[in-house]
Amino acid sequence: MTPEYKEVLTELLFQLADDDFIHAFRGSEWLGLAPHIEEDVAFSSINQDTMGHAVIYYKLLEDLGMGAADDLAHLRDASAFRNGVLLEFKNGSGEYLDSPQYDWAFTVVRHLFYDVYKKIKLEALKQSNYEPLANAARKILTEQTYHLMHWQTWFRQLMQSTEESRARMEQALLRCWEDMGGVLTYGQYGDEMTALGLIGSEEALKNTWLAEITKLFSEVDYKKPSDEPKMAHGNGRNGEHSADLDHALKILSEVYRSDSQASGW
Amino acid sequence: MSDVTSLAHLTDEEKYEHFMRRIENDEKIEAEDWMPDDYREQLIKLITMHGISEIMGAFPEKEWVPKAPTLHRKLAIMAKVQDEMGHGQLLLRVAEDLLKPYGKTREDIMQDLFSKRLKFHNVFHMPSPTWGDAAVIAWLVDGAAILSQTMMLKTSYGPYGRALKRICQEESFHSKHGESLVLSLAEGTPEQRRMLQEALNRWWEPLLMFFGPKSSKETGHTNVDKNLKYKLRSKTNEELRQEFLTKYVPKIKLLGLSVPDDTLHFDEEKGEWIYQEPDWQKFKEIIKGNGPKSDERLALRRSSYENSQWVRDALAEYRMAAV
Amino acid sequence: MSQDQSTFYEEYEVFSRKKDGMPLEHRFSLLAPNAEMALILAKENFFRREPIADLWVVKRSNIRKMTQEERLAFGRLDKAYRETKGYADLVARWRAFKEKNGDQEVEIDDAGI
Ligand SMILES: [Fe+2]
Ligand SMILES: [Fe+2]
Repeated sequence: MTPEYKEVLTELLFQLADDDFIHAFRGSEWLGLAPHIEEDVAFSSINQDTMGHAVIYYKLLEDLGMGAADDLAHLRDASAFRNGVLLEFKNGSGEYLDSPQYDWAFTVVRHLFYDVYKKIKLEALKQSNYEPLANAARKILTEQTYHLMHWQTWFRQLMQSTEESRARMEQALLRCWEDMGGVLTYGQYGDEMTALGLIGSEEALKNTWLAEITKLFSEVDYKKPSDEPKMAHGNGRNGEHSADLDHALKILSEVYRSDSQASGW
Repeated sequence: MSDVTSLAHLTDEEKYEHFMRRIENDEKIEAEDWMPDDYREQLIKLITMHGISEIMGAFPEKEWVPKAPTLHRKLAIMAKVQDEMGHGQLLLRVAEDLLKPYGKTREDIMQDLFSKRLKFHNVFHMPSPTWGDAAVIAWLVDGAAILSQTMMLKTSYGPYGRALKRICQEESFHSKHGESLVLSLAEGTPEQRRMLQEALNRWWEPLLMFFGPKSSKETGHTNVDKNLKYKLRSKTNEELRQEFLTKYVPKIKLLGLSVPDDTLHFDEEKGEWIYQEPDWQKFKEIIKGNGPKSDERLALRRSSYENSQWVRDALAEYRMAAV
Repeated sequence: MSQDQSTFYEEYEVFSRKKDGMPLEHRFSLLAPNAEMALILAKENFFRREPIADLWVVKRSNIRKMTQEERLAFGRLDKAYRETKGYADLVARWRAFKEKNGDQEVEIDDAGI
């Protein structure tokens, strides 16, 4: 492994790990607050799966000598995080313990966008020349079918019912479209990732995503807002983030950081 | 099924006798079976309270889901709290079927919760300010719940028994999770041990309260009496509390923790634990919905429920469109 | 509460098959507004630990259940003439033939010949 290969590989692994970690955290904030008890339970499984996937990637980084998985998840500054900005946005206004006004439409659309893309990305990663990553992708894919089925069902039903629901969903679609570009990008080392054989090209994956999402849109009689999704709030792949991420990281690491002498929890 | 070959011609009194014979023969009663109103009402009281306690029980721990210190702990506590929501689901389904003759649904259960007509366990009205609380809840609150749920496994009501069987299987994971959390803190730094001891101090009285006031033989508490008569439960509150003390006090001491009750000891002659009675007046207030966190948690549940009304409306509409 | 709640809270019974080749088993029930939703909810509500191979959801109102009265129809007397246990005498009778004819070849086991 050349130093260049390793550098680009770790960059990609941080993107994968941080996407899943932050996205799972946002999902887990819904625990106890979902619109229906049965959905609360089902949604929690998806969040556990997703956080489990983050753990797999952090372990790959640990194996590369980047530090302990728990340190990587809990001790890095926001600027070191490589997740797409869309995934770090709060679920709505308020705090998860204090008058949360969470937006279910935003959650459904964000999950749909992300999970459609994640499946495409994992399929591409199966061909990665970094064998541990290809193996991880194969494993993770087994759980992806259910996630997609779950969010597609929600998407179809909420898009095709009451006027209020349609309006809320369209608003959420616009909002997610504004920043989905930041999830679809590989960031500044994108070309190298592909050239080194780690993952198929950003352009190809993005086009597959656009094709699949457009197909879902047409099923519910919706036209995409513009040619391509945008990156309105910065490129998280390059360390640009919103205040929502700082806030999230403070919560996520509060206990882990609280006792520097502790060797176990 | 005894010597009755048709129920249609029996008087209510004969039906009651037949029903009680089934109870005495340890037959299981199913949802559509004839049952005295009294039995149905006892079940509804017991199971809605149990079910809604599982749901409200998610809140004191939920706070610690994202804050759980490590990735492994984050996953485990998420799974644990999810299970509790799942227990709520199983139990509410059982209660909802019992409520049918009254034309009530889950919606009514939720409204009863919001208006404080429906009570939930005292422990879920209490604050959980540190990670130590998450550990003590998982070890001891779940430990106490396991004792009372296991006691009811043989309950005469079939659907409740089946739900409890599944719940108890999952609770065995909860108790391992709880032990693991407590052991890690007990093995840890002075700071971690202090966190654990303080949490134990906070939870001791609520834990003793959890089983409820002394019952039947001690005070003539009618609900417990009825539940014993109908074989919904097999032990009194005090018997369960004694079991809890026998099971956990030695372990607490083994960890080098102290119980915040100087009077606590096992009386060899009487063969029972002597302990400082919890403040039952306070207990009553808490159960009524006047505990330290009652309003806050109910508000959380209510606002999220109201906030997502549009989702339920939309799905109801979608179903009709699809028909 | 702008909608009739009953259209959201439909009851679905959930059935699962542990492995291919195993019979379908009734598990639990849940509330869902339609079958699609019931299916995606059932999986994680009831099978988040145990592996399963197949899952069915059935709207409860489509099931014709029996009443307690009707279940009394399951009572019946012993019908040995249609069970193998009603033919326990066969071995002894085969043996009797064997002894009578001094035959060593034919083996007789519990199941007869
Ligand atoms: Fe539980
Ligand atoms: Fe539990």
